[in-house]
Amino acid sequence: MKQLIIIFFFSVTILPQTRVEDIQTFTLENGMQIIVLEDHSIPNANMYFFWKVGSRNEYPGITGISHFFEHMMFNGAKKYGPKEFDRTMEANGGANNAYTSENVTVYTDWFPTSALDVIFDLEADRIANLEFDDKMIESERGVVLSERSTGLENSPLWQLWEQVQGAAFFAHPYSIPVIGYESDIKNWTKEDLQTYFATYYSPGNCVVVIVGSVSVDEVKSLTKKYFEPIAVGPPPRKIHTVEPEQDGERRVNVKRDVPSPYVMLAHHVPQTNSEDYYALSLLESILSSGNTSRLYSSLIDERQLAVEVSTDYSYAFDPYIFTIYGICSKDITPEHLEAAIIAELDKIIKEGVTDEELQKVKNQKLMEFYHTMETINGKANTIGTYELFFGDYKKLFSAPQDFAKVTAEDVQRVTAKYFTKENRTVGILMAEEEEK
Amino acid sequence: MKRSILKSPRARMHSRIAECVHSFIHSCIHAIILVFVLGSASFAQFQLPEYEHYILENGLTLYLMEQHEVPLVYISAVFPAGAIWDENNSGLAAFTADALLSGTKNYTKKQIEETFDFLGASISSQAGKETAEITISFKKSDLEKVLPIFVDVITNPTFPQEEFDKRKKRWLDELVQAKESPRRVIRSYFDQFIFGSNVYGNPVSGSESSIKEINRDDLQGFFGMHYRISKLGIAVVGDISAGDMKNKISAMFPRTPTLEQLNLNVDVNKNLKPFDKSKVLLVDKDDSRETTFLIGSYGVPWNNKDITQIQVINTILGGRFTSWLNDELRVNSGLTYGARSSFRNYKNAGTFYISSFTATSTTIEAIDLALEVLDRLHTAGIDEATLTSAKNYIKGQFPPRFETSGDLADLLTTIYFYGLDESYINDFEKNVDGMSVEKANEIITKYFPKENLQFVLVGKADEIRDKVKKYGELTEKKITDDGF
Repeated sequence: MKQLIIIFFFSVTILPQTRVEDIQTFTLENGMQIIVLEDHSIPNANMYFFWKVGSRNEYPGITGISHFFEHMMFNGAKKYGPKEFDRTMEANGGANNAYTSENVTVYTDWFPTSALDVIFDLEADRIANLEFDDKMIESERGVVLSERSTGLENSPLWQLWEQVQGAAFFAHPYSIPVIGYESDIKNWTKEDLQTYFATYYSPGNCVVVIVGSVSVDEVKSLTKKYFEPIAVGPPPRKIHTVEPEQDGERRVNVKRDVPSPYVMLAHHVPQTNSEDYYALSLLESILSSGNTSRLYSSLIDERQLAVEVSTDYSYAFDPYIFTIYGICSKDITPEHLEAAIIAELDKIIKEGVTDEELQKVKNQKLMEFYHTMETINGKANTIGTYELFFGDYKKLFSAPQDFAKVTAEDVQRVTAKYFTKENRTVGILMAEEEEK
Repeated sequence: MKRSILKSPRARMHSRIAECVHSFIHSCIHAIILVFVLGSASFAQFQLPEYEHYILENGLTLYLMEQHEVPLVYISAVFPAGAIWDENNSGLAAFTADALLSGTKNYTKKQIEETFDFLGASISSQAGKETAEITISFKKSDLEKVLPIFVDVITNPTFPQEEFDKRKKRWLDELVQAKESPRRVIRSYFDQFIFGSNVYGNPVSGSESSIKEINRDDLQGFFGMHYRISKLGIAVVGDISAGDMKNKISAMFPRTPTLEQLNLNVDVNKNLKPFDKSKVLLVDKDDSRETTFLIGSYGVPWNNKDITQIQVINTILGGRFTSWLNDELRVNSGLTYGARSSFRNYKNAGTFYISSFTATSTTIEAIDLALEVLDRLHTAGIDEATLTSAKNYIKGQFPPRFETSGDLADLLTTIYFYGLDESYINDFEKNVDGMSVEKANEIITKYFPKENLQFVLVGKADEIRDKVKKYGELTEKKITDDGF
């Protein structure tokens, strides 16, 4: 094993071109934080806006509004009216997208560097002076209802996820699905949107990351010109609700006409910036990364209990859930698959993981790091994500070492600590006739 | 069918633009990507980076390109061994490609997986409509550990019976699972509907009945027939020395070509004739809450001389967020989360289709509107400002398509299989810029279908059957019926 570990550290020393000191950061007078990385490998650049707002900031009546808002940010502002944002961006060679999670709303622009000034103008206009056109609000409601419906239509997992998440949390707003409930999507008002904008889209609530063929000086002067004049809003309310400790297994059954049952297990785990993050992240890889991972090799390959199995352990500001889910093979009951997944967890709690297994997932983390650093989009997204969830983008560069420090005992300890029956929510989705 | 590990259920993260719209940019390499090989004097200035190209004595075609930004290497190997060669065993090509990783003369399945997983490297093997593609990526320091396995996988697979049996069982389960998602299977229905008994109608993953009939000998037979070194193209891109790599690869394959030259050609034009009427295939999924639909016809093959110009027009019709289709069906009317249009180009054939989905109750409204937009393309044509915007978009979004070594390795194997000329890439910008409004309108008339359209709809048949008859001659299937 020693030799392998040496190889690992050697690899760390031949990091890709980008070094932590290549990244520049500064904060504008209105509190907006800017992070810039020059990368001239292609004549393009990007701009990522990480807003610290997501469904975590919602409550009954306005569920889904963060995500709806993400759509509304494209529907017209003072200078660039409805449709003009996209038309102007695309006519200048740019493209965009955006995503919303429980924690954040992220807007992404990808463009040839020649369009840099236009992109600043477009973004400053909508952040400072968003307008709410009644007609656009109504048509966007239809779009989001279609988005909700097509997710449910095409993925039974989607449906199961919503309900497991809702059962795992009853106090913390992580119980709210990001897409929102249909009745709320149909009923929130223009005033709700205006209040939400004023509360959460204040420049101090945003981290902007720009990576690509730009110069730091140019970006500095453009941010001063376009973003610094944007007015500061009131600080958003803190989310102080703490989910009470779970004190017994919870179970959810969902009926859907599927050919074979779906099983989902969720366990409460701490937030991303906790000390157990690295061990839990390695545990996730041990369970589901690659064909030699524990769940794949045992449940899919050797025992043929499942056709698919996977895990989710996402970045989160507050304590969240670590989720394992699978689809039963033909004639396998959900109880059988559930018991087999739990047995794999218990095995780690009892016997731990091997050194080789641990080294394997550490090597995989290093490769993931390289893949991230291959593209300007990978760099921008990861830098912003680390800044928000780990509190410092520099942690991206120390991640290989932080993972290297985790021991087999650490992995065993976190498994024993969090993967208990009392801390578990189990969801089963299956057709009616198979139910007991 | 290739992915056994699920992606995130996506319930938690919502993008503004659905994958199916956005995948316009991240499309399947064999079908669309080269259409985006677009350069520009004003933006991109993309030229294919320098590379070396050899045809070895045994017929193997080798491409080598040095890229030193990260210490990674990508190798991509392509054989003409896709579903068009399935003959009567639908799914055989895909199963054979998948099973290359089940064990070889010198490595068991377990050894292959343990080596790659331990190093954080990756290996995949899958077949599409026309090709089988085996790709690996790894840290350059691991070359000696992974290269021998890669070569053994593509030259000495043994198709162990036990692994075959397990995979077959799971394959059958996966076929049933896939039909839970109309979006995942609608193209298989569409291809079969368009091409009928022509080989391009073959569903890549096969059907339940056909997979049940496949045995281990079929895989071995298919491998022997279609995985010829003389037909193999390999691209190595990344942190390498081209000279060293050439010597290494050359030394690992037999030096002499396979003596026996079989005629592997299939009649790619068999049973292809123009449509003389509109037809509708209605696939009944009785628990549907929405209708997923494709509307289209034949498209063009790769070697079409106007392929770049066609893509510029398609950008306007349904290839970007502000495209006419997305603007009408999503932005103006809120009928759907996304609407787009696509050309899928094969070596000897192609398809064109409009794709979207909408609530069951708005099916007719959405399809009528899509048809109206297509009609407007023909009747109103395109003006200078719209054309310029599309040109800028397609050029501006071009360089990121070839940003990584993996992208470039895919590009080189695509060049190999489709016999593309470098000028195709290097002159792309010129071709985009040189396109006039007159030419644009000529392209519309020539390549964008106007009548005798073919419709495939997956949804709740009882609620839409009577209304969709107006689009053409109606055929109906249940989604649970075997195959497509």
